[in-house]
Amino acid sequence: MLQCIFLLSNSGEVILEKQLTGHRVDRSICSWFWDQSISQAHSFGQLPVIASPTHYLFQVFREGITFLACTQVEMPPLMAIEFLCRVADVLNDYLGGLNEDLIKDNFVIVYELLDEMIDNGFPLTTEPNILQEMIAPPNIVSKVLSVVTGTSSNVSDTLPGASASGVPWRTADPKYAQNEVYIDLAEEMDATINRDGALMKCEVYGQVKVNSHISGLPDMTLSFTNPSILDQVRFHPCVRFRQWESHQILSFVPPDGQFKLMSYRVRKLKSTPLYVKPQLTSNGGTCRLNVMVGSRNNHGKTIDLVTVQFQLPSCILSADLTSNHGTVNILADKTCNWNIGRIPKDKAPSMSGTLVLETGLERLHTFPTFRVGFKMMGVALSGLKIDKLDLKTVPYRFFKGFRAVSRAGEFEVRS
Amino acid sequence: MAPPPAHPQRSPSPSQPSGKSEVTDLRSQLRQLAGSRAPGADDAKRDLFKKVISNMTIGIDVSSLFGEMVMCSATSDIVLKKMCYLYVGNYAKVNPDLALLTINFLQRDCKDDDPMIRGLALRSLCSLRVANLVEYLVGPLGSGLKDNNSYVRTVAVIGVVKLYHISASTCLDADFPATLKHLMLNDPDTQVVANCLSALQEIWTLESTSSEEAAKERETLVSKPVIYYLLNRIKEFSEWAQCLVLELVAKYIPSDNSEIFDIMNLLEDRLQHANGAVVLATSKVFLHLTLSMADVHQQVYERIKAPLLTQVSAGSPEQSYAVLSHLHLLVMRAPYIFSSDYKHFYCQYNEPSYVKKLKLEMLTAVANESNTYDIVTELCEYAANVDIPIARESIRAVGKIALQQYDVNAIVDRLLQFLEMEKDYVTCEALTNTKLESSSMQVLVKDLLRKYPQWSQDCIAVVGNISSKNVQEPKAKAALIWMLGEYSQDMPDAPYVLESLVENWDEEHSAEVRLHLLTAVMKCFFKRAPETQKALGAALAAGLADFHQDVHDRALFYYRLLQYKVSVAESVVNPPKQAVSVFADSQSSEIKDRIFDEFNSLSVIYQKPSYMFTDKEHRGTLEFSDELANLSINAEAGDSAVPAQRVEANDNDLLLSITEKEEGRDAASNGSAYSAPSYDGASATSAASQSLADLAFSSTSGSGQAPASSFAIDDLLGLDFSVGAAATPSPPPLSLNPKAVLDPGTFQQKWRQLPLSLSEDFSLSPQGVAALATSNALLRHMQSHSIHCIASGGQSPNFKFFFFAQKAESASIYLVELLINSSSAKSQIKIKADDQSTSQAFSTLFQSALSKFGTA
Repeated sequence: MLQCIFLLSNSGEVILEKQLTGHRVDRSICSWFWDQSISQAHSFGQLPVIASPTHYLFQVFREGITFLACTQVEMPPLMAIEFLCRVADVLNDYLGGLNEDLIKDNFVIVYELLDEMIDNGFPLTTEPNILQEMIAPPNIVSKVLSVVTGTSSNVSDTLPGASASGVPWRTADPKYAQNEVYIDLAEEMDATINRDGALMKCEVYGQVKVNSHISGLPDMTLSFTNPSILDQVRFHPCVRFRQWESHQILSFVPPDGQFKLMSYRVRKLKSTPLYVKPQLTSNGGTCRLNVMVGSRNNHGKTIDLVTVQFQLPSCILSADLTSNHGTVNILADKTCNWNIGRIPKDKAPSMSGTLVLETGLERLHTFPTFRVGFKMMGVALSGLKIDKLDLKTVPYRFFKGFRAVSRAGEFEVRS
Repeated sequence: MAPPPAHPQRSPSPSQPSGKSEVTDLRSQLRQLAGSRAPGADDAKRDLFKKVISNMTIGIDVSSLFGEMVMCSATSDIVLKKMCYLYVGNYAKVNPDLALLTINFLQRDCKDDDPMIRGLALRSLCSLRVANLVEYLVGPLGSGLKDNNSYVRTVAVIGVVKLYHISASTCLDADFPATLKHLMLNDPDTQVVANCLSALQEIWTLESTSSEEAAKERETLVSKPVIYYLLNRIKEFSEWAQCLVLELVAKYIPSDNSEIFDIMNLLEDRLQHANGAVVLATSKVFLHLTLSMADVHQQVYERIKAPLLTQVSAGSPEQSYAVLSHLHLLVMRAPYIFSSDYKHFYCQYNEPSYVKKLKLEMLTAVANESNTYDIVTELCEYAANVDIPIARESIRAVGKIALQQYDVNAIVDRLLQFLEMEKDYVTCEALTNTKLESSSMQVLVKDLLRKYPQWSQDCIAVVGNISSKNVQEPKAKAALIWMLGEYSQDMPDAPYVLESLVENWDEEHSAEVRLHLLTAVMKCFFKRAPETQKALGAALAAGLADFHQDVHDRALFYYRLLQYKVSVAESVVNPPKQAVSVFADSQSSEIKDRIFDEFNSLSVIYQKPSYMFTDKEHRGTLEFSDELANLSINAEAGDSAVPAQRVEANDNDLLLSITEKEEGRDAASNGSAYSAPSYDGASATSAASQSLADLAFSSTSGSGQAPASSFAIDDLLGLDFSVGAAATPSPPPLSLNPKAVLDPGTFQQKWRQLPLSLSEDFSLSPQGVAALATSNALLRHMQSHSIHCIASGGQSPNFKFFFFAQKAESASIYLVELLINSSSAKSQIKIKADDQSTSQAFSTLFQSALSKFGTA
């Protein structure tokens, strides 16, 4: 049972305060929290769950905003943390981003949202579709509409139909002139390549995102050609689990609009679409660094937005790095960014240069980890393929679209 | 690609503006608009309201505008209404009289045609929280509960809880709990059902402390029909409501095994839910249901393993930390089940260090013969990481794994490689951080050597090359000195290194290092007497003159041992070494079990059972009586040698700290039941009504948990008494129970209740005063006389101590307040006793014990 939620800005200022129960939580808890987070920032980092002298605090940090919840009683910690994450997600959806100014400009909406999301410390509904029916998002369309029609209320006059229907995630009876369903496969590749160049871990975390605009109450089935590769699946509440267990078919009544149908992980992949080979050789107080990047090109697709980022060890005084493709930036905190962009067909990009070590140090002993970013359109790196999408119970013709995009998740190369 | 989770530059919080003139501005503008029916008035009002609320949000007190705001609130615009409700909800409590003005329009809105407005109005009405307005609540709430729109009903149900908190009697008189129960079992809308459940749990839990009936009602919530009814509808509930239901199911005790399997079958797909809270709550149900069936319990681990691991990798760092904490608990209970999943616990560069730290601990736990090589290889990669704390942790983890395993060749090799690598650094006079790294390694090597003597030869060659001058950290230095002493026969220059260390005795700030130095010199002396004799003499002299009590004592002890017989001294100081099989675990298994019972709660994250950390609030540190307020309280039960669990009592008062011993250990050592469960129960119920419990504790000393624990102690002592009486008749002179137990709460209570039975002044011996300089010396001394310290404090020259003692084979307790002025060597004691007749005898005993202080 949460007692209070605070939103704090990057400077520790309370942007918003929402008391949830009769026991008011004084704002002073925020300054206590802030002092703690300053004093502990350099030790073991900020824990998500903290015991203050008077309350237990849960914190979730997103885009410079700290979501802080207080309670005095024992409760499942994950519930509080999940809820705060949901609040952050919903606000992000509503405001089209998250930052101090956006929240301050729209604080009335934030209050309204929190009002519907949690009452008396217990989470109610966090389903974005339903919330959007209760409180219209402050987007440009609604602004234009309000100017044209003269009604400037961003609160819909009607209650969400879902609360009356038997399917809690779906409005009772939406109507569309054009019926369409878009399915996106968004995959992130997590890979770890160790010092010897061996692939320690190569996994794909994927999400199936659906954008559905279908009139009536459609019943869909989605099947994959190779469902057996999927591991650790998690579903939106609308998915019928038994069907998946017995036939590996996703059968569901979709919520209206955008939602995340499922997430999955595919393990033990054999290769990465690109290679990154760092080489460090120390000699007499300097260290020669050379990083080669290249495409393995077994997908026949171009690799875009390639970046290599790493942290120079603290014992390095200066670094002089150049590349034959893309730009190299070294920031003040010794973070080095190499922006490659699209990998050219004719040559393999490489970056090289020398690092000057601190005086007295002969060789480098702490080695940086290289984090790699990339994006590939039109390919799902896991190899997952959608077989077909069927629509039962609704007689309309409808348009269906499929897309796939892969990008790097936690892709790291150790040296 | 996300940037590393660098913690933002957080600056101290800015001072909040006061904004007096703004408020007056707003007031006049609001007044102008109040009666206006002009076309654009609503827009103007909306802007004004926004200003007021934004002021409220940044912390400016705009409560003085209450009247004006209420006047402006007559509107049909729903956004204006919402803002107004928000404002009213925030300030009604401080303006109870003006709040009456709002009742009218809220009540009217409660009858609006639009269910949204009805719901909002009802919610705001219940959020006013003004005690003298409750009469206006009952009507709207009653009709709200019967409303045909489910939104209004959900709001009304929560409204009932709010009403209960304002005025419990009004809520019960209107018979709302019964209505809620009816709704819970019959309402078609699952959100209404879920809210009813949470409301009823809250109300009946609070009520059950005073009413038998409510306690019975609360029991019926976990009865078979209700549980089955909820379980059958579980898929319709929202994810949060599912958590609530699952939490309830975990309390349910099925009648037979087939029921258990039915429930588990029904809930199995919940493990695939996208919401981590649901997955964790389901896991808890599974674990609890199968506690009695060992083999199924095992299977449950296997079953919940994959979903939990999924949660770790799917969410944000905050979520994965919470899940990892629970996994950590499971891994510690059954490492073998997770031994093939070790790759899940590999650290990612980007993860925050608190996540990495947990993962390292788990990697350590799951290591076995088959995966050790992989794990150690992985850990070694972290050791060269840029992140220094993690690098240290991982080296430590390698060492721990080495201690667990039989085949350590590879590991010791690796550790030695580290040392050699470090050697380069050291000769290069490298950075402090690398020295720190090397130091943690040396601590490890020492531990390893204790366990694997056969490796010592190899290690010595490496260690011998590390110059002690380059090692700064006390622990590492102590480890190095230990090795110098232990293997002095193999290290040619050991005596000379030790000698130079002894010469710099005064520069050595850490008592631990000095203690190790003393021992090392002794050991070296037995092996290479001629070379070490001079160093030993110097070390003993320096040790005797040391101001630190332990160092002084040890030097004296060694001196006397040597005086007595060198061979005896050798057998004491340098006995044949046996390999250490296991190093003492940091946490007792009983505590781990307790945490396990509280799966899916905060306990898991703190890695402490809830009574250990929720406690401090019940104890109500702020309400401590004045005389205890500036003291440090030692709740010492058995002996003080055990590392105590520290609970920071109150950050505002730095002088005050509470040291609490692990109850679990206590129970084991006393062999009698310290009734921890009842203690726990007390804290659990009062946790629910936190402030109530605090209040009760401070105002009426007779309620709260204090009596519970004092009963527990009486019980305990009563037991002692009967056993003792049967064994031997009590001897006539006063003797004290060396294992007396008293908790600070009981002490305080007794101190308040008992009359002063004796007060005496006397003077202290000069040695005693001198010995006072060492902290805790007096406490230890008195403890050796079976008089235990519960609190101590003060600053030179005035010291204050609270002691307690217990008459052997009797429940009679003596409480002592001792004031010492070290400059005048005067002291005063005040004694309070359960048994007044023996207080004089006790006083004599106390004074004689005190007079021996410092002379030993």
